[in-house]
Amino acid sequence: MSASGIGAKVRRKEDHRFLTGKGQYTDDISRPGETRAYFLRSPHAHARIKKIDVKTAERMPGVVAVLTGEQLAGDKIGHLICGWMIHSKDGSPMKMAPHPAIAAGKVCYVGDPVALIVAETLAQAKDAAEKVAIDYETLPAIADPAKAKAGPQIHEIAPKNTIYEWHLGDPQNVAAAFAAAKHVTKIDIVNNRLVPNAMEPRVAIGEYDTGNDSFTLWNTSQNPHVARLVISAFVGMAPEHKLRVIAPDVGGGFGSKIFIYPEEVACLWASKRTGRPVKWTSDRSEAFLADAHGRDHVTHAEMAFGADGKILALRAKTIANLGAYMSTFSSSVPTYLYATLLSGQYAIPHIYCEVDAVYTNTVPVDAYRGAGRPEATFVVERLVEIGAREMAMDPAELRRRNFVRTFPHQTPVIMNYDTGDYNASLKKAMEIADVKGFGKRKRDAARDGKLRGIGYSTYIEACGIAPSQAVGSLGAGVGLWEFRRSARQPDWQCGGAHRLPRARAGARDDLRASGLRPARHSDREYLDRAWRHRQGAVRHGHLRFALRRGRHFRDRESARQDRDQGKEGRSAHAGSLRTRH
Amino acid sequence: MTAVSMTVNGKAVTADVDSRTLLVQFLRENLRLTGTHVGCDTSQCGACVVHVDGKARKSCTMFAWQAEGANVTTIEGVANGATLHPMQEAFREHHGLQCGYCTPGMIMAAIDMVHRLGHELDDKTIRQELDGNLCRCTGYHNIVKAIAAGARAMK
Ligand code: FES
Ligand code: FES
Repeated sequence: MSASGIGAKVRRKEDHRFLTGKGQYTDDISRPGETRAYFLRSPHAHARIKKIDVKTAERMPGVVAVLTGEQLAGDKIGHLICGWMIHSKDGSPMKMAPHPAIAAGKVCYVGDPVALIVAETLAQAKDAAEKVAIDYETLPAIADPAKAKAGPQIHEIAPKNTIYEWHLGDPQNVAAAFAAAKHVTKIDIVNNRLVPNAMEPRVAIGEYDTGNDSFTLWNTSQNPHVARLVISAFVGMAPEHKLRVIAPDVGGGFGSKIFIYPEEVACLWASKRTGRPVKWTSDRSEAFLADAHGRDHVTHAEMAFGADGKILALRAKTIANLGAYMSTFSSSVPTYLYATLLSGQYAIPHIYCEVDAVYTNTVPVDAYRGAGRPEATFVVERLVEIGAREMAMDPAELRRRNFVRTFPHQTPVIMNYDTGDYNASLKKAMEIADVKGFGKRKRDAARDGKLRGIGYSTYIEACGIAPSQAVGSLGAGVGLWEFRRSARQPDWQCGGAHRLPRARAGARDDLRASGLRPARHSDREYLDRAWRHRQGAVRHGHLRFALRRGRHFRDRESARQDRDQGKEGRSAHAGSLRTRH
Repeated sequence: MTAVSMTVNGKAVTADVDSRTLLVQFLRENLRLTGTHVGCDTSQCGACVVHVDGKARKSCTMFAWQAEGANVTTIEGVANGATLHPMQEAFREHHGLQCGYCTPGMIMAAIDMVHRLGHELDDKTIRQELDGNLCRCTGYHNIVKAIAAGARAMK
């Protein structure tokens, strides 16, 4: 371990405030004159709202307003959107159904907000919510993604509840490779839905400033800039310069705080209607219904092996459950973030993947921890592991035989791997796990009447949302570009210690030599693409580039000096400079 | 409304509150001591742990009036001015926190653990004792290390 730079032990810069109770999370903020919001949510998975009667509720003590989806639509507040366009095989665009912040006419999942009660205190808002009378006509519902296409249609725009039928890769080459296979492994796997549950529940505070006709939103957000863009340009709350989004300390996100949520839109809107700041704090039980869930894939996959255990091809067909509405980045998770990593750490010549995304009457699904990439790893690694067992091969050896060994390596699913030594990490992992001693441990365990097993999994992840070429070719709504500049944000954190990697990686002299400067505040507009703590992944790639460039300049400079002194040039690195994009 | 008075971090406080006000709401909303957090509505997470008369209590699971006349210590009252409490220092040294949301509750529970069980705490004891405190970020490993070190440093 070195004393400074990458690998050095560095204390986190943000800890002091958290250790002393001085962190500032969104719920710690109170605005003068603030009201409290409570969302009344649908108890039905699928139902028509025949009538909402709010009269009694409005007269309850402390109530400031009881707001419905009809009023929201009347005020011309736009729908939430999914910002990533995916086209089906037939070229048709994904079927994005209208998603109002408060349901109007119909509810599509248990938890769909149907009314917003604003009161002086939370207890008063909850009391009043009990007096809102809603006449529902329940409709048949579907929760199982595998059966969604045959289920009752949820949105007019999406026949067979199908959002898109997408694919990646070349089916012909894959079919030919399978025809020549010595062995084919087939699996059916479910990657179950889960609830992210960061320790800090979500919070939104909307405040309207009548003097300037502008809004401020404080929210538990992993990317406030995108929130501002979406709420302004798509929801139409206010032009961007009249909407400020502030994300203070965040008590964990795990993806679930990336998205733009109905409550954020509704609190902003309600603050204008009531003329008071409106604060909503989710409770834990509510979070199960209100936060986007993760995963929920049903997959059939096959792997073709040659006689020597070499992988010849992989094909997968996945049904991805996106829930009742398309959340902000939901479409990208089972496509761009999934299929592009189906090569894992292996040199697989041919890959073909089909993904059908479907609506069901369930909580919307979006990116969660790794998002799509763990789902891909699960598919690849199960295929390899089961393949090894079927062919009676050592699973480590089968992996070793198929590892990518020469770089750069172009996979058949867009990604280009620039570097790696997968065999070295496998070897190290096997040493740490004492694989050699496993037989003895297993026998000992058996003597105690216990079963002991061992399994392998390798993993590769394309962190951040990059490279821009891949992102652009696969549908990112607002497009991306690349620039190389070090991002320095004041103090923001979300559990990933933004300041720490910077302190570590900031081998400052090297950086200075590269001629780069830290980013100004105004450069921060779209740094969100790194998803905050994933900035490490994106930034370090750029840092590497920067350092190479620095060395290049340095060498060029010393070569010039040498030349000036009549010596031989020493620009050893000048020829090795290359960009990776 | 109910009148409540208690001592919080050495200061006498008194207020009129709705009788259903929880102690955690009283601390956070009335006194603006926002270091004590709320992570659940089922008494499971421990983000809200404070000391009531020297004992660790989940402040989300008692009414403010139940602390009538009590001596309450929150995370804001643990350090000695600018000098961190040894348990706080141990969390910092052993990287026992990430997002920091569970941290105040963890530290309050840990100090109570030392008061009850002494300064030599093994991993198994610490893990068992942390049954009522959830952390979503760290995986607990460094929290356990921090508590063991903090316990020794409190001697
Ligand atoms: S908030 Fe008290 S235990 Fe979770
Ligand atoms: S540090 Fe984030 S919940 Fe414990």
